[in-house]
Amino acid sequence: MSRVAGLLFSVAYAAVILWVYSAEPQSRAEAVGGLAATIGAYRIDERAFDDGLAAFKRDAFEEARMAFERADPASRDARTQFYIAYSYYRQGWGRVYNDDELFAKGLEAVERAIAAAPGHRLDVEDPDLQMRSTDELKAELQEGMRRDASDFNPLRLFRERK
Amino acid sequence: MTVTREAFVLPGLFLTVTLLGGFRVDDRITLVPPPLAALLLALVMLSTLVRGRVFAPALLMSESRTNAENLSGLVVLLTLFAASAQALHLVTPDRGLLHGIFVVFLFVQLLTASAAGTDRAGLLRTLVVTLGAAFILRFIVLEALYASDGGVLKRVLTALLAGVSLGGIEYAPHATITGYVAFATLALYIVGLYLLPAGGIASMLQQQNAQLHGSRRPATDLPTPSVPAARGPVTEGEVLDG
Repeated sequence: MSRVAGLLFSVAYAAVILWVYSAEPQSRAEAVGGLAATIGAYRIDERAFDDGLAAFKRDAFEEARMAFERADPASRDARTQFYIAYSYYRQGWGRVYNDDELFAKGLEAVERAIAAAPGHRLDVEDPDLQMRSTDELKAELQEGMRRDASDFNPLRLFRERK
Repeated sequence: MTVTREAFVLPGLFLTVTLLGGFRVDDRITLVPPPLAALLLALVMLSTLVRGRVFAPALLMSESRTNAENLSGLVVLLTLFAASAQALHLVTPDRGLLHGIFVVFLFVQLLTASAAGTDRAGLLRTLVVTLGAAFILRFIVLEALYASDGGVLKRVLTALLAGVSLGGIEYAPHATITGYVAFATLALYIVGLYLLPAGGIASMLQQQNAQLHGSRRPATDLPTPSVPAARGPVTEGEVLDG
């Protein structure tokens, strides 16, 4: 019996090690949240998420991100990561030029959202958003960071933020 | 060796070494799996441990043990291999010419220790010195030499080294915490080696007698006068001869 228990202990410990090496969590919250997500027990803080959403809707992006990060400390919830990416997009968007640094962070967040979403695809039912899927948002962020001749098109001045 | 030590303590220790052996901190935490060179060094290490009777594989896996016992022994062997790979990887720079130099140094040291044919205590002392020396070279000398807050003289010296070796000598320093974790990891590994079941003469006699008589009674109990055995107990001389 002790040997069987020891074997189970070793297998479980080895599995944790494999997970830690593949995920490389950067904090205790990420490690615990990631392990919980692996067994389907991860839950975000809904109240903090609602706070973040409210701040996002009034264009207080930094405040929104603080609340979203509080809601999803392990960065394992696709919907929260989607809104974080969207907040970087909206904050970094400019009529003349975009803030590449913010767009790059948005791209990282949308990648996390895609990785965490079931089937690597997420659709958010939010009528206030013009881009409701991770694919649309990722394409827009990539397009915003690209340098090409269309950057000099004067009609760009008339485009609208999504 | 007690069941607890074989089933829990040794795998736990060696898995912890495996986990922490790849721990590096610079601007972020990274966990580096062992490269191929570390796996090969771990094989040499296991061979050296067996030859130096630091542990006897027959005491972990043999025909006289039950399936559960053999499985438990296999887990100890696998975790020992993984821990050895990570412990040796830990004291080796991750890339560049220094990686190659350290690998060759460790390879030669392990072969030398194996060929020397020292006893258990002697081999363990040799391993402590070898791993300790590599630790000092990597985490004290190299870290100090390549520290980002180093002075002009250190920067000139490292630039000269890089120039002389045509860029072959390169080293990325880590945060101080990496060295502390590495020290604790090596200490755990050495403790694990000390706790392994030793392959002394007495244990070998016991093992062979158990195989002959289908039981695991001590060698001194076999055979009893009333029960004729196929042959007598294995003597110490026979073990040494063959």
